[in-house]
Amino acid sequence: MTAPDAPPHVAVRRVSKRYGPLTVLDRVDLTVDRGELVTLLGPSGCGKTTLLRLVAGLATPEEGTIAIAGRDVTRVPPHRRNVGVVFQSYALFPHLTVAGNVAFGLSVRGRRRDEIDRAVARTLSLVRLEHLGARRVSALSGGQQQRVALARALAVEPEVLLFDEALSALDRNLREEMQVELRRLLREIGATAIFVTHDQDEALTMSDRIAVMNGGRIEQLADPKTLYERPATLFTLGFVGQSTRLRGTVAAAGDGMVAVDTPVGRVAAMGQFLAGSSVVVATRPEHLRVVADTVGHEGSDRARNSVDGRIRAVIFQGSRSRIEVAAGDQVLLAEAPGRIASALNPGDAARLVWPVAETFAYPDPEARA
Amino acid sequence: MTARLAIGFAWLAALAAVLFLAVPLLTVVAASVSPTPVFDLPLEGASLRWYARIGRLDGFWPALSLSLQIALLSTAIALVIGTLAAIAIVRGRLPGAETLATALVSPLMMPGLVLGIALLQYFRAVGFTATWSALLLAHLVVTLPYVARTMIAGLALFDFTLVEAARTLGCTYAGAILRVMVPALAPSFLTAGLFSFLASFDNYPVSIFLTDVRTKTLPIKMLQYIEEAPDPTLAALSTLILAATVILLVASDRLIGLHRMAGTSE
Amino acid sequence: MTATELPAPSPVVSPAPDRERWLAIGFAGPATLVLVVLFALPLALLFTASVAGPAGLTLSEYEKLATPHYLGVIWNSLRLALLTTGIAFLIGYPASFALARARGVLRSVMLAALFLPLAASVIVKAFAWTILLRSDGLVNTVLIALGIVDEPIRMIFTETALIVGAVNIFLPFMILPIYAVVAQLDHRLVEAAATLGASPVVAFVRVVMPLTLPGIIAGVALVFSLSVSAYVVPTLLIGERYPTLSTTIAKAFLLARQPGFGAAAGVVLLAITLTAVALSARLGRSGGSR
Repeated sequence: MTAPDAPPHVAVRRVSKRYGPLTVLDRVDLTVDRGELVTLLGPSGCGKTTLLRLVAGLATPEEGTIAIAGRDVTRVPPHRRNVGVVFQSYALFPHLTVAGNVAFGLSVRGRRRDEIDRAVARTLSLVRLEHLGARRVSALSGGQQQRVALARALAVEPEVLLFDEALSALDRNLREEMQVELRRLLREIGATAIFVTHDQDEALTMSDRIAVMNGGRIEQLADPKTLYERPATLFTLGFVGQSTRLRGTVAAAGDGMVAVDTPVGRVAAMGQFLAGSSVVVATRPEHLRVVADTVGHEGSDRARNSVDGRIRAVIFQGSRSRIEVAAGDQVLLAEAPGRIASALNPGDAARLVWPVAETFAYPDPEARA
Repeated sequence: MTARLAIGFAWLAALAAVLFLAVPLLTVVAASVSPTPVFDLPLEGASLRWYARIGRLDGFWPALSLSLQIALLSTAIALVIGTLAAIAIVRGRLPGAETLATALVSPLMMPGLVLGIALLQYFRAVGFTATWSALLLAHLVVTLPYVARTMIAGLALFDFTLVEAARTLGCTYAGAILRVMVPALAPSFLTAGLFSFLASFDNYPVSIFLTDVRTKTLPIKMLQYIEEAPDPTLAALSTLILAATVILLVASDRLIGLHRMAGTSE
Repeated sequence: MTATELPAPSPVVSPAPDRERWLAIGFAGPATLVLVVLFALPLALLFTASVAGPAGLTLSEYEKLATPHYLGVIWNSLRLALLTTGIAFLIGYPASFALARARGVLRSVMLAALFLPLAASVIVKAFAWTILLRSDGLVNTVLIALGIVDEPIRMIFTETALIVGAVNIFLPFMILPIYAVVAQLDHRLVEAAATLGASPVVAFVRVVMPLTLPGIIAGVALVFSLSVSAYVVPTLLIGERYPTLSTTIAKAFLLARQPGFGAAAGVVLLAITLTAVALSARLGRSGGSR
């Protein structure tokens, strides 16, 4: 990454896009620094692909500006933007060979034959396909096609690389392999990249920063760790990772903390609300510790929340197990390492204990005051 | 047991069908080298003299030339306007796209003879008497459905992301169409062109009502020869037409594969 | 830690004039023009001509067609089409299955055997049958050599000749649509039926037949509408003895100069083929929606 005062490499300012009556993007701001990999993460229809297409020039915004490397490209057609796009379907040209596909952008730019050949050879070796240049693209496996698509986009040495669900067509193992390899490669060449995906694991693995999108807006833009540990909105919390949630009413507030009356008793959480507000308190399952012994009352205090219940299910998931605990009519999710979970049985009484510092309150979206 | 019997029966039917279909074609070839004027079969000796006489058939060259002109031109025009229409139907926000798609292939369902008499009366009614142009326009109606059907099917399978990919790689919109869409659709163009050329070149029931004494297409001339004075010269001519068809088919097969054509041609 | 306060969505701005729509209309324009000017209008005129008399609308041309002679002519056309379609189906349906099973060179040879006759001129093929079916032609020679008949039998200009020729010419149109469906038939469905306890016959009748029905309907409709309006085949293989709607229409325009009557016969022929097409489309839809 460059010095903090360097101008952003890609700058999207207050961009809106509408299709007829449908507003797909609503005054979105996004900046990507030189050499940074930013992921647009969100459910289908959230506008992430549209935002990518606007940066590529395949669509034009109704309002706002887009700048790449300091140049305003809002009205510049795609062929004069110098971007590299890897499409979900790869969009490899079926009538050309692997080398022909990789050479396409350079040949359109009118480069000399020998220069093109050198660039093709270099790029193909970068994606480790140097031996397949003469192959027809239809004769390649999915993973190989993905690499050709990447090589084709890299060959023109674009200002910014754009990936539209580029790995989603691969099967799970190959996808995880490609995530790691792609990240290493992009780091190596110092590429600026925007990556669209609906897969949270992919986003967490690959990105310097993640923009969680919902309903044509960016809900939160942060590095993966912050996004996971301090989700700014209930949507982000729900879309990235698992959570245990309780609906309730704020009984007391102060010091950036609230005490919330929930169906399972009083729970303390971080947040600023007025007393009487409807909120949802939430925490990550890994923070909930299961205490099988309910004898001896620890109770909630300013540092810990505590809820008594009964174990409903223990679901083995490899290195960890997921534990569902029923308390009243609520079900709370907890996680525990295998050796602890193996001592737990459905039907057992259990106490859940978790730190207040990892409990957050959000406005209840369903409560309309 | 039952299944194997059924499969055996299927192969028998296929063998019979292939032989049955081949018989008239082989007959024509055999008859074309007949030593006598009365199609003596089986052959005793062979002669190529009938081939030499093709060119001397009354009115043969003008008929061949006319048929080629009409077939090539109507195919070319149909390819252009049919492809444009197919793009609009598959891709564009065209009101009534499905209706137009049905309408474009509907002349295929219609007896050629009915189209022929309808155009005959129509051209008479509007006072259009230029035979050559009338033939060309009529054959445009004959060829357009073949192009529309093949191109709509081809474009429906075409991934328009390819055009976008080419644009992001530096092509203008028109450049992307020319460098990516046209070559990627080459099989469809070839199939469409082949079908519509053959449909026009072989057409009898539409042309018969639009020709005059001096302007006759090859099929009309051939039927006239057969009815007037059938001799092995016609078999020789038929053999040459067959040979040309074989060359066209083999070339297409090399380029795109017949099984793909079987798939797209209803 | 509260969610950022989001401003309400901005009011919808009406989009700029839809350029794409106008582009699409421009693209579809030339073909639509051809269709209207050279297809729809001529057909409308044909229909008008069939009911136009010297004193306004008349059905007199259609009344002529309702006489026993011309009803016989219409029946001739239908009979030709029904026989041709039926025989072509009996050969073509099983043949399609063999074709779908064929692989490699065998498949190429069989496809070529289908495509070449399809591409070959109808006149060339009809001409070949006139040679084959002559009294001193190959068919008679073979029949005599095999001792099936003692002296040459008359075949050309008989209904047998007509049907043989018509089946020969239209058979590929039966096989190809059925083949296209059979080739895509998922063989696992038959296996699934077998695991569910269906015998091969039951599996065929309950699974394979319904799945190939769209191909059957397409092939039958195609061969029927082609053979009911065939012109070259009856002209060369049976001639005056077997007048059909097609030959009658041609005669009305080319020899007898009775355009009104010809137009009426044309409308009847068109109605027959359109009925077949509409029926098949309807059957195909109800078959597909199951």
